[in-house]
Amino acid sequence: MPPSVLKHALVKPSTAKPSAASTRPVKKKREGVAGYVFLTPWMLGLMGITAVPMLGSLVLSFTNYDLLSPFTEVQWVGLKNYARMFGNDPHYLHAVRVTLVFGLVAVPLKLGAALGVAVLLNRERRFTGWFRGLFYLPSLLGGSVALALVWRAMWSRDGAFNTLFGLDGPNWINEPDFALGTLVVLGVWQFGAPMVIFLAGLKQIPTELYEAASVDGANKLRSFWHITLPGLSPVIFFNLVLETIHGFQGFTSAYVISGGTGGPIDATLMYTLYLYRTGWSEYQMGYASAMAWVFLVAIAIITAVLFSTGRFWVHYGENS
Amino acid sequence: MHRAAMSQGTSRRTLLLGALAAPVLAACGSKEAEQPAPMSTEPVELSIFWWGADARAKATEDALALYKTKYPFVSFKTTWQGNQGYYDKLATLAAGGNAPDIFQIDDGALSEYAERNVTLDLNPYMANKKLDVSKFPESLWKYGEVGGKLSGVPTGENTPGMIYNKQLITELGLTEPKTGMSWEDLISWAEPVYAKSGNKVYGTMDPSADYKALWMWLRQQGKELYANKAIGAAKEDLVKWFTLWKGARDRKSAPTADLIHEANGGDVTKQLVVTGTAATSFLWANQITEVQAKTKQTLGVMAYPGNPNAQWARAALYFSVARSSAKKDRAVDVINFLVNSNEVGKLWGADRGLSANLDVRKAVADGLTDATAKTAFAFETDMATKFGKAPAVPPKGHVKVRALLTTIAESVQYGKADAAAAADQFLKEANAALGA
Repeated sequence: MPPSVLKHALVKPSTAKPSAASTRPVKKKREGVAGYVFLTPWMLGLMGITAVPMLGSLVLSFTNYDLLSPFTEVQWVGLKNYARMFGNDPHYLHAVRVTLVFGLVAVPLKLGAALGVAVLLNRERRFTGWFRGLFYLPSLLGGSVALALVWRAMWSRDGAFNTLFGLDGPNWINEPDFALGTLVVLGVWQFGAPMVIFLAGLKQIPTELYEAASVDGANKLRSFWHITLPGLSPVIFFNLVLETIHGFQGFTSAYVISGGTGGPIDATLMYTLYLYRTGWSEYQMGYASAMAWVFLVAIAIITAVLFSTGRFWVHYGENS
Repeated sequence: MHRAAMSQGTSRRTLLLGALAAPVLAACGSKEAEQPAPMSTEPVELSIFWWGADARAKATEDALALYKTKYPFVSFKTTWQGNQGYYDKLATLAAGGNAPDIFQIDDGALSEYAERNVTLDLNPYMANKKLDVSKFPESLWKYGEVGGKLSGVPTGENTPGMIYNKQLITELGLTEPKTGMSWEDLISWAEPVYAKSGNKVYGTMDPSADYKALWMWLRQQGKELYANKAIGAAKEDLVKWFTLWKGARDRKSAPTADLIHEANGGDVTKQLVVTGTAATSFLWANQITEVQAKTKQTLGVMAYPGNPNAQWARAALYFSVARSSAKKDRAVDVINFLVNSNEVGKLWGADRGLSANLDVRKAVADGLTDATAKTAFAFETDMATKFGKAPAVPPKGHVKVRALLTTIAESVQYGKADAAAAADQFLKEANAALGA
């Protein structure tokens, strides 16, 4: 949801609470208990499915746990796993590179496509609703296995892509120089979710601004540059953060398209795929756990950096 | 698992691990039913897990049904799936303490599981005659030993086989390749196929990324793929191997890298004899029935090139019993039945290799009707007269080495690395993986 909405959501309860608290403290306490009771299912899920396993993996990341040996044989290895990542594992650094390239290319392209189509679909015309639905459709299929399989077939030597453009092209997915590109295209194609959010954001920009601008003689491009982009910047920021995190985590398409190997010659060896392969196929779960934690910290840092740049280009209504 | 950690009262770290990690990873495990007395007639359910195609699933279910008619109180919980992802699933099950009572495994993974004590040592069962391998060739059942422990029972014997498109070769007016021809001869033989087929079909698959082929080629020069916990080949050997196949690709005897990559995935439907892009595929001899079912062309099978005495009595697959199983005795009895029963042998044919029990093998051979199955049997029977000494089962780390060879050989095939650099990289990374 756009940050403006988020702000409202945050503000409301804090204004409502004190009044209830000052009048009847006992009831508040009881409500508090009820609140926790209602939270229990979620808390249990969080603890059991997310928090405890995460802590477990943190512990394992300092061990040589190999998935199959009994726990009695697990040995503490200190920071060895972490050192290995950056000192002695060319495949790891390669996977980082592949993931960065994927993220840095796919995310801007996807957001650009989403914004472009959102602007086009913002005007009410006949069938606009239909088009919105159609453009959103690929996102519904999400990171599905079926889609990745279709993708494989599409980019093969005599697949849809070569046939459609009459190319005597290669099997794109089997070419180390292009395989990652096909994954990027697949990612970009699923721009529906950010598009819908952009559409909602566009609706929030007051039309008076455009009217005033056109009275002053501004053309469409300048209106877009000086009104749409600043007005939309909170939404762009939101989408950027979300898609960046999502982009770096890409797994399913790379797994299915490369048959789980990250091939050809590690061209599609995304970070999460290498992590998976290390843990489950090569029985180095301790090392894989360490990778997972570095990944978590890296994504947190990237997100923090994005937030810190936000000050310079994200305009919330009240400041402008 | 965590119970074991507690009782032995080892270091505090282990305790911490047990306390923190075990509930996570082993949470749903250890719902061990009360152990039934050996060979009791209490109703018992055994879980059994394998990979394979539909035909294997049906044959296996039928075989288990036969066991059930003998022992009606035994029931089976069968799970099977395709090859891809099988070991991921098995590892996850084992890690969670839910390893199936009986599971299928191959020599690529046997050491990984045996050295980590997932598999039950079957030697005691062999000693007290609960497991009868007396009719097996000795070298075959010994190929189930890892570090002195009998970790798997071979379901059958199998050898790598080069499957070729017999029909196409005849149509192009070429002679068929023959067991015993050298690797260089194969490449020369393959050269005219491309031009004669109107630039459609390459003569031979390039198996430089296939550890089976490399291993065979090394053995023909008196070396092994593995020497203890290291790679048995020297840099010059690997350079020679990569260069041999680079020559084949340059001469158009072997296909382009993208086609080779497609087949390297191992999927039967993607093999080049099936897709019609090459006249040979480097597989397992018994896979000819599976591959033949996917193509209308008539296929043949021969040994990998070079002297066939580099081959050995190799277990096609094994059945292993999980050490954590609560029904070990019954599980061993089921395996004993599956590998020694004539009826099961007939149901399975050559699907899990040529029956390990020689009496069963003979009975199966006598009853064969399918032409392809006959070919497979004839081939394997002939190979058995040529076998050399068996090496040790590939060591722990083999899975990673196999994947490394694929990646690194492919980098040569795609022209991204030269043979010398590839050989260096392979030796460095493979030895590191084996030493770990």
